Amino acid sequence: MSLSRRNFVIATTVAAAGSTLLSACSSGNAGGGNGTPNAGATEYTGAKVTVGSKADSTGPAPEIPGAKKGGTIYGIAPDDFSHLDPQRIYFAYNSTVALLLHRSLTGYKIDSSGKQKLVGDLATDTGTASNGNKTWTFTLKDGLKWEDGSELTVDDVRHGFERAWAPFITEGATYAQAALTGKGGKWRDAYPGPYGGKHLDSIVTDKAKKTITFNLAEPKPDFNFTVAMHSYAAVPVKLDTKEKYDKQPVACGPYKIKAHTTDKSMVLVRNKYWDPATDSIRNAYPDGFEFDFGVETLAGTDRLIADQGNDQYAVSIYKGVPAERIQKVLTDPQLKKRSFNGLLTGSYYYWINTKRVTDLKVRQALIHAWPLQQIRQIYGGPSAGDFATSILSPDIIGYEKYDLYGKLTKPQGDPDKAKALLKEAGKEGMKIVYAFPQDPTYLKTKVVIENALKAAGFTPIIKPVDSTSYYDQIQQINNSFDVMWGGWSPDWPTAFTMIQPLFDGGAIGNGQNNVSQTNISWINDAIKKNAVISDQQEAGKAWAALDKRIMQEVAPIIPETFQRRFYLFGSKVGGAQFDPNFSATLLYKTFVKA
Amino acid sequence: MPPRLLTPYGIRQENPTAMFRFLVRRTLGAAVIMLIISALVFVLFYAAPRDPARIACGKVCTPETLALVRKNLGIADPLPVQYWEWLKGLFVGREYTSFGHCPAPCLGYSFQNREPVLSTILDRFPTTISLAIGSSVVFLIFGIGTGMLAAVKQGKTLDKVASSASLIASSMQIYVVGIFATYLLVDQLHLLDRANYTPFTEDPAKWAAGLLVPWLVLSLIFTANYTRMTRSQMVETLSEDYVRTARAKGLSRRTVFFRFAWRGAMGPIVTIFGLDLGTLLGGAIITESTFSLQGLGLLSVKAVSTNDLPMLLGVVLVAAAAIVVFNIIVDSVYALIDPRVRLA
Repeated sequence: MSLSRRNFVIATTVAAAGSTLLSACSSGNAGGGNGTPNAGATEYTGAKVTVGSKADSTGPAPEIPGAKKGGTIYGIAPDDFSHLDPQRIYFAYNSTVALLLHRSLTGYKIDSSGKQKLVGDLATDTGTASNGNKTWTFTLKDGLKWEDGSELTVDDVRHGFERAWAPFITEGATYAQAALTGKGGKWRDAYPGPYGGKHLDSIVTDKAKKTITFNLAEPKPDFNFTVAMHSYAAVPVKLDTKEKYDKQPVACGPYKIKAHTTDKSMVLVRNKYWDPATDSIRNAYPDGFEFDFGVETLAGTDRLIADQGNDQYAVSIYKGVPAERIQKVLTDPQLKKRSFNGLLTGSYYYWINTKRVTDLKVRQALIHAWPLQQIRQIYGGPSAGDFATSILSPDIIGYEKYDLYGKLTKPQGDPDKAKALLKEAGKEGMKIVYAFPQDPTYLKTKVVIENALKAAGFTPIIKPVDSTSYYDQIQQINNSFDVMWGGWSPDWPTAFTMIQPLFDGGAIGNGQNNVSQTNISWINDAIKKNAVISDQQEAGKAWAALDKRIMQEVAPIIPETFQRRFYLFGSKVGGAQFDPNFSATLLYKTFVKA
Repeated sequence: MPPRLLTPYGIRQENPTAMFRFLVRRTLGAAVIMLIISALVFVLFYAAPRDPARIACGKVCTPETLALVRKNLGIADPLPVQYWEWLKGLFVGREYTSFGHCPAPCLGYSFQNREPVLSTILDRFPTTISLAIGSSVVFLIFGIGTGMLAAVKQGKTLDKVASSASLIASSMQIYVVGIFATYLLVDQLHLLDRANYTPFTEDPAKWAAGLLVPWLVLSLIFTANYTRMTRSQMVETLSEDYVRTARAKGLSRRTVFFRFAWRGAMGPIVTIFGLDLGTLLGGAIITESTFSLQGLGLLSVKAVSTNDLPMLLGVVLVAAAAIVVFNIIVDSVYALIDPRVRLA
């Protein structure tokens, strides 16, 4: 999800109970494979996401050494999943359970080191593009079934796309709808939805051949990444209960819902009709999962530290260890052994409002002045993440590390350089309005930011903003802020999903995501050009070059950190590892230790 | 003759329908208060610069989608219309396109989890009641007991210890004591169970075991207050003329203490207890958050942080009702205990 809106709300809820700093960017299928598995490591060691072959897409998933079937894994979390209807799933934490219940045409196969491959999930491979990337065809695997034993067909896959038009579906991703209709944001006008008996003209299914073909209005070379999102998971036409589906969805993944008391608990049991031979992604060792909701992050962490009773078999579903307990976890070898960590899918930035701060030199001075080290110290020090210097995050295909403003050598800020630039611009003492969400963590970071701005010759004006409406306020184009804290998480690991929404001139507007209001013709043109490059590795190079040029010639953001989270698990849990897409525990790889 | 003052016949002699009239009047007053509170919550909710529709609106939130969300949530109409619909739902129920009929008293559906508000509140209320009643028993026994002891032993070591201890305990914070108690009693010494809620009807032993730590922690703060209050009330009552008269007439110290002085001191304590219990039934926010107990307190925090107006309204109304009802009960009981207070 853009700008971590929903998860931000969660973070503030938890903060009310005195726990965490900012939370993960939430998103659909985002990010790539750099969940550095070494506790405490702060350098990227993972590789970029690759696209897998047909063989990679063929089940079963590779066995995990030492794993065995059986038992129950317990999960704890502060909040219940807000949606179970796949078309209403966009936020990362909902996807942690969706991975156990739902399946999309493609998905990410993650190895024990966190490296990822895009593979066919329901489809036999990652799809075939033709017609200049405007036509995409996928073939379904054999043996796919719903939890009632009925066959999962191409019509069910199509239904998962068409349901997005239902009036009660407003939360999901909209990429495919726009691409299938060519109407951009007006995609709803193009089709009345599946419940009147009509189908989208742009999706063609062949039941006999088990193929589904998407005829897109514009070239989309990374459409096979788009369809990995849970917003596009299959839903059985015959078992669709419309609004009620959100409470009781029908599973085609390895587990199904046996019981669910909203906001309190959920019990998952095996879906006996799921055939591991059809699934190259999921292991599914436990016989079931039992989730306990309403456990605040600090209390949940303390339960996992205490490691008593059923908590020995427990994992934190999606919440990392809060700042209060990080040192304990890092310094106690026994606890450190029961933890894993990874970088969040998104990046954290400070947007510079280019409509208000019009001088490039001033924007560059702001970047030089920014006290990254002091900010990270407040987040918890080096274990809290790595300094960011680019727009793209390390997970993105094509990411290249650079340091245009010497932020890695002087992370504490370079007030002299900033002052010199301000002098050149003739803007010494310039007022800078800094906005941030009112939250205990950012109330601390604003102090070091204010000091750094003063040291660099700016006159800072500090504006705390109500945290629940923060994004609504900074996304107003006539806002009165110069620099704004924020985060961005991509929906899949190609650079288009980061650069287009944030820097395309067409994405400026109230409620839109181009918060810096950057509207420069060479950027807009490059986005159009890069978006249609077929080879994703080639495209990656072009995007990385654009990333660097934007930061050099426009400097519309101050990159802050790629944040790291640590997660604890009980002493009898095996296979616990970081989910690099959804910043959570990868539940389907866990097992109960003998 | 002080013992006669403690019987309610003075009221009956004076006006047999006084109690009934009192109750009717207070109930009507309570209804007006609730109406005002609900209207205030409605207005204040929309006065804040936040939009509940944005949470259910996707990443690229177009005005069309936002309008659709508003319609789905039932917040597309002007504020007075929304309030009227909500109010009507309380008495005659409501029809929802997506959920069907919501029978009266309908508090609506949660924006956040799309469950009926009333059933969620009814689901959470037993946890809050258990927490409130259980801790009340603990703090009343210990608070009043210690306070009386301190009063009897006024100026002696026991009094000093009890007074100082209560001062220290009353300055403690639940979120500190709660985490410490869990760490010590549950994680380290394994003496007590980790806080959790099992319905009383399911397993009374488990119910009590799971709530013992929260009861003790919540009681710690209240016990201290009740100790100090009981002590000061008792000391004051013991210096009253009628107590001295009773002693002078030859009644034993024990009789005077328990039959006269104790009852005389109870009036203000009953008042405070009624208000405390009402507040606790509205949800012990910090206690429930500290122990992750799914009661009304935690529900209200979540409702605020997720812009969930129907849930917020529901919880606020229940909390307000608890306080109003206990106020009425306190006033009635007070009049029974002390006929100097009239119900007029």
